[in-house]
Amino acid sequence: MAAPRIWGLWSFCCRGWSRVLPGCRLPGLRSSWPRGPLGARPLSQEKRATETHFGFETVSEEEKGGKVYQVFESVAKKYDMMNDMMSLGIHRIWKDLLLWKMRPFPGTQLLDVAGGTGDIAFRFLNYVQAQHQRKEKRQLRAQQNLSWEEIAKKYQNEEDSLGGSHVMVCDINKEMLKIGKQKAHAQGYKAGLAWVLGDAEELPFDDDKFDVYTIAFGIRNVTHIDRALQEAHRVLKPGGRFLCLEFSQVNNPLVSRLYDVYSFQVIPVLGEVIAGDWKSYQYLVESIRQFPSQEEFKEMIEDAGFQKVTYENLTSGIVAIHSGFKL
Amino acid sequence: MRTLLRGVLRPLRAFRSRPWPAADVPLRATSHGTGLLYPEHIPTTPLQKALLAAGSAGMALYDPYRHDMVAVLGETTGCRTLKVLRDQMRRDPEGAQILQERPRISLSTLDLGKLRSLPEGSLGREYLRFLDVNRVSPDTRAPTRFVDSEELAYVMQRYREVHDMLHTLLGMPTNILGEIVVKWFEAVQTGLPMCILGALFGPIQLSARNLQVLVSKLIPWAVQNARRAPCVLNLYYERRWEQPLKALRQELSITEPPMHVQGPA
Repeated sequence: MAAPRIWGLWSFCCRGWSRVLPGCRLPGLRSSWPRGPLGARPLSQEKRATETHFGFETVSEEEKGGKVYQVFESVAKKYDMMNDMMSLGIHRIWKDLLLWKMRPFPGTQLLDVAGGTGDIAFRFLNYVQAQHQRKEKRQLRAQQNLSWEEIAKKYQNEEDSLGGSHVMVCDINKEMLKIGKQKAHAQGYKAGLAWVLGDAEELPFDDDKFDVYTIAFGIRNVTHIDRALQEAHRVLKPGGRFLCLEFSQVNNPLVSRLYDVYSFQVIPVLGEVIAGDWKSYQYLVESIRQFPSQEEFKEMIEDAGFQKVTYENLTSGIVAIHSGFKL
Repeated sequence: MRTLLRGVLRPLRAFRSRPWPAADVPLRATSHGTGLLYPEHIPTTPLQKALLAAGSAGMALYDPYRHDMVAVLGETTGCRTLKVLRDQMRRDPEGAQILQERPRISLSTLDLGKLRSLPEGSLGREYLRFLDVNRVSPDTRAPTRFVDSEELAYVMQRYREVHDMLHTLLGMPTNILGEIVVKWFEAVQTGLPMCILGALFGPIQLSARNLQVLVSKLIPWAVQNARRAPCVLNLYYERRWEQPLKALRQELSITEPPMHVQGPA
């Protein structure tokens, strides 16, 4: 956004409140609410505590979950096609970059939250399978004085092409999971994959279970982002990694202007023409604007207990990958 | 259905402006908050309208089953024509009454039992027969969304709901041939760009035989009748259910179709 720095500072200060008082309506805080000493809250914030944003609308927190569910229910069938149309295929590169940053090794237990249609899960499976195959080849080459029986046995050994890796795809929306399962079936992914219906704010898993937790383009739809981050912290093993791929604030003013025009003029039109659904795509572009900036989100992740939190901007900040470790 | 009628009975209040961080980005088109002239309204900028018109035209040609695209095309291109239509309605006494009272044709406002009990040959009975034979319902009309005036949105909605009436008046079924004939009639009567485009591009998918019949007999008949007849939007159909169809046709100077067009089985 081409915003003057003062506004940026204000929004930074005001959004700081959102961490103190979760669920507080972010855009409304631009009025003259001073930051009290030691984080003391002015009383007038209390009465707005149960409201939140749904795009540029203000809704109650109970409503937001339901409305987001409806949005994804209606876009599920054309989700992948619309992603390609809207980002001109660039979203594939973003997701590939997320995997390359993750560098999973065979044996990794991945939890992909809000992973509905399975893009990250399938890439993960491809990656670890390729890694495992490379490892096997290296081992074969190293053991050059094996007898032909042992070599034949290795080639026939089909028990685990993934080397023990497993990905759990968790999503709150049944339609998205359904599409994901259909895709998995169509593309032949069977081993190492599980589909679970669950809420990012209350994951149905035990503590310390996963090596990596990813959430790609999902966390901005969560009503209480801090709770989702805390759950992420809970289910990760010590040493586990949190990775979040999400739309973020653009740092370049020219790109920002073009991005705004494209987002608000073209994307809802694409949604209407291709999917017959203007409002869902209007919500999409608005929810991107409502999401905290890279630095703020980094602080939110640190608040949840993660350490060594970093972020990397992609495409001038249109998208950012945040990474943190549970140590 | 409740929507536009309420808009007449109560002065429309613009929704209270909700605070949002849009002050620095004027390029945004909002879909809620201020700017909603009627409940289904989606305010759009001229650029969005242009993109919508182009996109919906392309999509309608690519996938003829996307009726919503035809509707969107009509809304985004019909601005000027809708104004002309509305002024025409205002000048006619019956049309002015329609604009005042904003009647809607839908399953909830129609009294099907009463229509069924009307004598054979009356408008109401024939309309109901048309709905049954072709297995259509008046509720499948999409609400107007992209027209930036509450009154014009009603005119557009009325035009859509009168479309079925035209099928009944002209005796045309809802297959592709019947639809094209009605589109030609509407194109000449209303001048809406969407009707003109539909009339010109619709026949592309027809077989050679149908095309020949269309061009030689049906289109000339439709155009002739459309020129002779007064504006069909000015008829208060809801008050004319008992009127015999033949009498209504005579009033509008609509002759019988030159040949019977076979409806869907």
